[in-house]
Amino acid sequence: MAVAFVRTIILYLLIIFGIRLMGKRQVGELEPSELVLDLIIADLAAVPMQDYGIPLLSGVVPILTLLGLTMLLSLLTMKSLRFRVLLCGRPSIIVRDGVVDQREMRRNRFTLDELHEELRCQGVAGVERVKYAILETNGQLSVLLRAADQPTTAGQMGLSPAEPGLPILLISDGRVLSRNLKDRGLDRAWLLRQLKDRGFAQPGQVFCLSIDETGTVSCVPQEGTR
Amino acid sequence: MRRFLGPALLLLLLLAGGLGNAFALEQFTDRLTGALLQAEEQVGQGDWEGAEALIREAREAWHSRDGWLHVTLRHADTDEIQIGFDETLRLLLCREMGEYAAASAQLVQHLQLVSGAEQLTLQNLF
Repeated sequence: MAVAFVRTIILYLLIIFGIRLMGKRQVGELEPSELVLDLIIADLAAVPMQDYGIPLLSGVVPILTLLGLTMLLSLLTMKSLRFRVLLCGRPSIIVRDGVVDQREMRRNRFTLDELHEELRCQGVAGVERVKYAILETNGQLSVLLRAADQPTTAGQMGLSPAEPGLPILLISDGRVLSRNLKDRGLDRAWLLRQLKDRGFAQPGQVFCLSIDETGTVSCVPQEGTR
Repeated sequence: MRRFLGPALLLLLLLAGGLGNAFALEQFTDRLTGALLQAEEQVGQGDWEGAEALIREAREAWHSRDGWLHVTLRHADTDEIQIGFDETLRLLLCREMGEYAAASAQLVQHLQLVSGAEQLTLQNLF
């Protein structure tokens, strides 16, 4: 049993390392080749985890081979457009100007029910409101509404609201994120003053404290500290 | 181009490692099967002590590479071969000519099969 335990840890760490090497895209949006990779890796790792009559290397070598191959293929897809089309396919326009392209639907084996489900998920009531619906290579449907159906923006109304910029977390669950503090050009003394102004004695009493680029501080206390 | 180097090197390393392992295993099992066949010849000539020494030497050689063999081969195979060596030696010491010859032939075949399964051949690929 100890062998299975240690093997599981080794294989788990190897897969985590591999997925990290693949980049962030791998986690959320899977291209066909990436989906295949994930399925095979999961299967390869499971066998030597359970059956320790099989050498660990017989699981590790195929996993490393797959990771190396995938890295090579993803570099090739970056370099060559043709190769990218070959490996990942092309996006398909399913709806154009409110009209469903039935041929494209059949080609992608995409049903009308699936189309309506996707549209509803994105808050669109009917196909007639859609300018373009594009089935992306990762299987997600991108929906672009007609100009008349798009929500009005502040810019279209001639308004120019202040840009808050990216809020950055300075305290997370009572812990001070010193790196973020330094990146914003702030120091601990400033943070303690902010806490004091809000009635806190120490960072441990704060669940979350963030600051945006205009200098607006948002603070959420830990439950039960006041 | 330099970014291709890392994954390409990893793949080459894995291929070289696999081929190197297959080559080393073939050399090793060839040496052991050679010793077993030579022992059979010596038994045929009535030299039981000489045959015993050869088999003991081959068994020790197998045992001394236990780490490498366990890491690269199925454990059931390595264990069966280890048992095969012990059985062959036991029958040799009992001077059971027929049974010894059968056990030795089976061990030789097992060694050849284990080595053959690691070789990069079309037969093994498909």
